[in-house]
Amino acid sequence: MNTGKRIVGGIAAAGIVISLAACSSDSGGDSSGDGGPVTLNVLLNGNAIGTNIEAMTDAFEDSHPDITVNVQVLAEQQMRDKEQLNLQSRSNAMDVYMTLPSREGPLFQASGYYEPLDDYAAGAEDGFLDGFSTIAIDGMKVDGATVAMPMNVEGPIMYYRTDLFEEAGIEVPESIDDLLSAAEALESSSDGSYVPITLRGQADALAYDFGAFFHAEGLDWVTDGEPNFTDPKAIEAIDQYATLASEYGPEGVINYSFNESTNLFASGGAAIELESSNLLPTIIAPETSSVIDTTGIATMPGGAPSILSWGLAMSPFSENKDASWEYIEWATNYDTQLETALLGIAPPRDALYEDETYTASLDTPLKQQWSEALQYLLTDGETEIGPVSQQAPEIRKIIGDGVGTVILGTATAEEAAQSIQDQISPLITE
Amino acid sequence: MTTIPLGRGRRIAPYAHGIWPLVVPALVVTAALIVIPIAYSIALSFSGLGGIGSGFTMANYERMFADPVFWQSVQITFFLFAVCMIIQMILGVGLGYLLSVDVPGRRILQGAILIPAITASVAVGLLWLLFYDPTLGTANQLLRAVGLENIVWLGDPAIAPWALIIVDTWQWTPFVALIVSAGIRSLPADVFEAAGIDGAGGWKMAWHIGLPLLAPVLTVAMLLRTVDLVRFFDLAYIMTQGGPVNATNTLNLYGYRAAFINQDSGYAATLQITLFVFVIIAAAVFTFIRKRFTIEY
Repeated sequence: MNTGKRIVGGIAAAGIVISLAACSSDSGGDSSGDGGPVTLNVLLNGNAIGTNIEAMTDAFEDSHPDITVNVQVLAEQQMRDKEQLNLQSRSNAMDVYMTLPSREGPLFQASGYYEPLDDYAAGAEDGFLDGFSTIAIDGMKVDGATVAMPMNVEGPIMYYRTDLFEEAGIEVPESIDDLLSAAEALESSSDGSYVPITLRGQADALAYDFGAFFHAEGLDWVTDGEPNFTDPKAIEAIDQYATLASEYGPEGVINYSFNESTNLFASGGAAIELESSNLLPTIIAPETSSVIDTTGIATMPGGAPSILSWGLAMSPFSENKDASWEYIEWATNYDTQLETALLGIAPPRDALYEDETYTASLDTPLKQQWSEALQYLLTDGETEIGPVSQQAPEIRKIIGDGVGTVILGTATAEEAAQSIQDQISPLITE
Repeated sequence: MTTIPLGRGRRIAPYAHGIWPLVVPALVVTAALIVIPIAYSIALSFSGLGGIGSGFTMANYERMFADPVFWQSVQITFFLFAVCMIIQMILGVGLGYLLSVDVPGRRILQGAILIPAITASVAVGLLWLLFYDPTLGTANQLLRAVGLENIVWLGDPAIAPWALIIVDTWQWTPFVALIVSAGIRSLPADVFEAAGIDGAGGWKMAWHIGLPLLAPVLTVAMLLRTVDLVRFFDLAYIMTQGGPVNATNTLNLYGYRAAFINQDSGYAATLQITLFVFVIIAAAVFTFIRKRFTIEY
């Protein structure tokens, strides 16, 4: 065989190998176009919502024998990384995924990463759309299109230690000024075994708590396309937040997100925790908590906390869209959400808050306080966790870094406010 | 033996020209896994907001050079690189010498000290996160036991980079030591015997004979650590997420954030290509040094 033939033979062999590899890489599962068996690939967050839905998915498969569901549960950022890899490569290897429209909604929508669900929802079973909270459904809309179906509602609430409040002789704070006074009183009465307050200091996560301080001053994040950070009230909000964190918060609060804060509070190391309503099961977990009988819950002081919902979205690159919708509809229907509500997930349906089975499950004063705080969020919550933009994650980090410099004492509130304003203005107007 | 001319004096043995078809799959795989992603990233870094195909632009590079966070991340990357390298080489040589001495249990000790290097960085990061916890962590308990004040290890911008340096040094010094130890054990004994006969003492032999002969081994260790340190990512990602206030935001971490958190693929590609250039330059420098200072024996 001469050299030319050998080369041609080699290229042909390589071509066959590549073709086979290409065939095997098409992992989208069975086609649904012929109405035969379908395999759905679902990517969920490893929080309580995702893990509960994963555990309940067997019930979906039982009622849909032609649909096999492969559920993958990952930690939030790893889930988001994998989602983006699938979506950027237009892969059909992911059909359904969890999303936070309040965070990535504008960018995902602009990038074409959401399959619009309005038509699917309109064709759903009778009563499917009835009873959803308006604020939860609105939170799933981007540019007027429904991009996901809500799985829960959550927002920052105030967990506090009833015994320590009693010792310090203070009432539950209703305003931010009250909160600062309460922290001061708790600091005075503390024997050093606890800090007055724990809250978020980590840059990416801080806006979630800080929003309540900002809105309590009567401010919106943005007015007429311009951020409001140089407003004297915004500077006041930054100063109040940083004062609480640096003077009354735990050492290293700059690295605190929900895990660190909640572990500290549940172990008895803090008198107040400003944190997500989702964290109640952790705070009262019998195996780890020392504050089960001494915890109270109230709405965030200041009266304007953020509210958000996780949603279940469909990949536009799925080849199993009808089956994907069936899964989304099942995972967010009344019965499933009643079941998850009984497991501690705050439901995004107003109707469930009046369901007898659910209300009967709120069998302690603490759970009732929690439910009341959630209903307050549903009526008075602010749906913007930070300024709405395709660059929302970057903007939130800029806000977090800015407030962080004040917590660390390397900048004044005025300097931080100006820095935040300068950095996020171009991102908002883009 | 007859040879086939390939131009400019290069020759290939006659049996070799039949191997090309067999090489093609390896070339295809190499291109698919290495060349194409790099070429794609370069193209992306020179593309506009519309991605590849939206026209050539230098906008991402102009933005990068005007970005204070980029310069801060470069500064942090090279600070971590320089400090870790110096500490790990000094400790590594000392520990490597101790490991090269024949004592009972040396092999077991060699295996044991390698445990940090073969442990997943995620596990190492989480372990040290607990160790550094300001309230409950062992680090501050030890400080308090000797009457010192608590340190906010990961919450102070001036201390957090040093906290990462301690962890990286704990994890990778044994690896350097193992390379050095193997190098010392392979040195020719006759050179040292001759120096001893000539009256050279222990330090003189180590400084004037041992270290020069070890230079190729040391530069290999430095090259391996350089490639890792310039790409510093995992410990910072697990332990600080680049904080507090970007104090540990390495270039690699910043590139990751741009890609997966800010979802800014063009800028992320620009940052990663810049990092790639840094790695190439650093590797080239140490390769040059290795060739320049290698002593044949």
